Amino acid sequence: MSSDRISLDDGFKALAAFDWGADAAPLATIDAAVVACHGQESLTSDLEKRFGAIVGGKASRAAKEYACRKLALIGTAASVPVLAPLLADPIESHMARFALERIPAPAAGDALRQALGAARGDLAIGMISSLANRRDAASVPALGALLGGDPKTAAAAAAALGRIATPEAATALAAAPPAAGPVADAVIDARLACADAMLAAGDRAAAKAIYQALAAASGATPRTHRGRAVRVAAKSGLLACLDETVSP
Amino acid sequence: MTHDFAPSRRRFLATSAATATAAVAAPYVITSKALGDATTPPASDRIVMGGIGLGNMGSGDQRAFLADPRVQYVAVCDVREKWRAEARDRVDEKHGAGSCATYVDFRELLGRDDIDAVHIATPDHWHALMTIAACRAGKDIYLQKPETLTLREGPLMIQAARRYGRVVSGGSQRVLEDYRRIVDPCWAGELGRITSIDIEPGPSSMACYLPAVATPPDIDWELWLGPAPWEPYNPGRCDGNYGAGGGSWRSYIDYSGGSLTDWGAHNFGGTIFAAGLLDLQPVKAVWHPASSDGKAAAYATLVYPNGVDVHCNRPKTLRPADPAATVTHERGITIRGDGNAVPPRPVPAYRGGVSIYGDFIECVKTRQRPFRDLEGAVNTMTAPHMLGLVRRLERSVEWDRAAQRFVNDEEANRLLDRARREPWIL
Repeated sequence: MSSDRISLDDGFKALAAFDWGADAAPLATIDAAVVACHGQESLTSDLEKRFGAIVGGKASRAAKEYACRKLALIGTAASVPVLAPLLADPIESHMARFALERIPAPAAGDALRQALGAARGDLAIGMISSLANRRDAASVPALGALLGGDPKTAAAAAAALGRIATPEAATALAAAPPAAGPVADAVIDARLACADAMLAAGDRAAAKAIYQALAAASGATPRTHRGRAVRVAAKSGLLACLDETVSP
Repeated sequence: MTHDFAPSRRRFLATSAATATAAVAAPYVITSKALGDATTPPASDRIVMGGIGLGNMGSGDQRAFLADPRVQYVAVCDVREKWRAEARDRVDEKHGAGSCATYVDFRELLGRDDIDAVHIATPDHWHALMTIAACRAGKDIYLQKPETLTLREGPLMIQAARRYGRVVSGGSQRVLEDYRRIVDPCWAGELGRITSIDIEPGPSSMACYLPAVATPPDIDWELWLGPAPWEPYNPGRCDGNYGAGGGSWRSYIDYSGGSLTDWGAHNFGGTIFAAGLLDLQPVKAVWHPASSDGKAAAYATLVYPNGVDVHCNRPKTLRPADPAATVTHERGITIRGDGNAVPPRPVPAYRGGVSIYGDFIECVKTRQRPFRDLEGAVNTMTAPHMLGLVRRLERSVEWDRAAQRFVNDEEANRLLDRARREPWIL
């Protein structure tokens, strides 16, 4: 049956019963509707509610993932209540983030931060990844608090602070507990990212302080590829701070 | 910012077996190969390399690097057992049995301090993560095209490369090879100022709904997927090479931009280089809907800040007659100029070699920027990514290069990137 003859209602009926391997032709009706609804609030809102019903219902994982992909494009704060509970589910968490990460509404960031508070292990790293991609400054205190905990989570938190790169993120990184291995490396990388951001924003003094600290510390590290790369980054940053015509 | 350090002399580490860590075998016998000869540097002066992703393109890249006497190849990494074994065997054949360590997890390979450089030829969804990790590990990188999967990745990769002083070469070898017939006349000034271009990019990638099949034991499916959404194993999802309509992973949106970015990296690469647009990014992408009578299909125009319009899949019925100052390429590329004389420029050559591989190795040694430097590669890929976006939205967008965002367009900005599956974080 040509997808042109399938109504949107029938498309969503097909979606509710959809699974991997099923005939995807009926979904084309929904795809077209998502494209066409741009700038039309009532159509977008209707579609959003329908996707929310799929996500919050008993549809298959494949169907829910399809709905989350569409909510990534058109979702609003209205979808947060149906997506947020999935963040704690190891199966559904990523696709819930697939939508929430791209919903600009503050409620989406709130949901990710709240979920981070309760999450552990890889799920926590997932929240951290999405907060980093959102450059969520409000999560800096929570991320800073993770720097002394589980090493994988601490490394992810450091990476996120480097992506957010606010002065507060730089302060949190500077206060990180002593660490070794991947966590120490992640903190250094993040501090370099913060310094580069500060330099780009014109705060040479703050950037210089970080580069100096890292250059001094890197002098004691072994002459490995990694050690040399960090020295290059720190010393190049210092040079850039000295010359107003140079940026990283 | 240039970073000016030369690699220190490398101590050649012989291994007695293919192990996951480099260990000095005892006793260490200096072979004639290690000492080098008139055509081969001594082992201590060779660039120590490893490969990540040794499938169709990766195995070809590996062969090219193995053939370079300046390279000592020591490690391979692939999530498929068969490709790991074949890649290892190629190294053993070149350097002797037991020369090559094998890995499933790229982080272990990058953690080896004896490795100077890596080549990466995984599916596209891994490119940014691996490149940034390799930069942080102090490695130089040869990265297959398309270098990026999303618009957000490119600037982050450039930041990492410049911060840590890395040589990062993209893998579009065709720019100076297949596309010379358009590069040469443009750079010679024969067309004058370039005014407009027509190009025929291939289809975008699509969603994948293939059914679940039992995962075979010889592929690490979790690592193959990596940051992409979890979906069940199916050979149609991850196998194949160049199928655009469902024939390979390149067909699917979670792993690739489709033929649009795959062949697009070459077609846009050659075109953008020829037309002198390598330092630029489009300022807008204009969507032209299909004509109401159905006679003309939809197409898009990428508008560059220097006034050059790049029409993508424009119906021939809508094209003006070509002026005298026009060059064409059989891959559907037409470049037009105003015909007024402009000074010729010499076409850059590969450094220290006749191939893009040799160019990379030379740049690793000299710390110069390679022919397909990362900034140029990212600028190039911005074009097909933007085209893919307007195809999806079926409307025009405007791009703010400084902010790396679309102007006043929340919906388009949602397509800049995508959430990565835990535990992967960019």
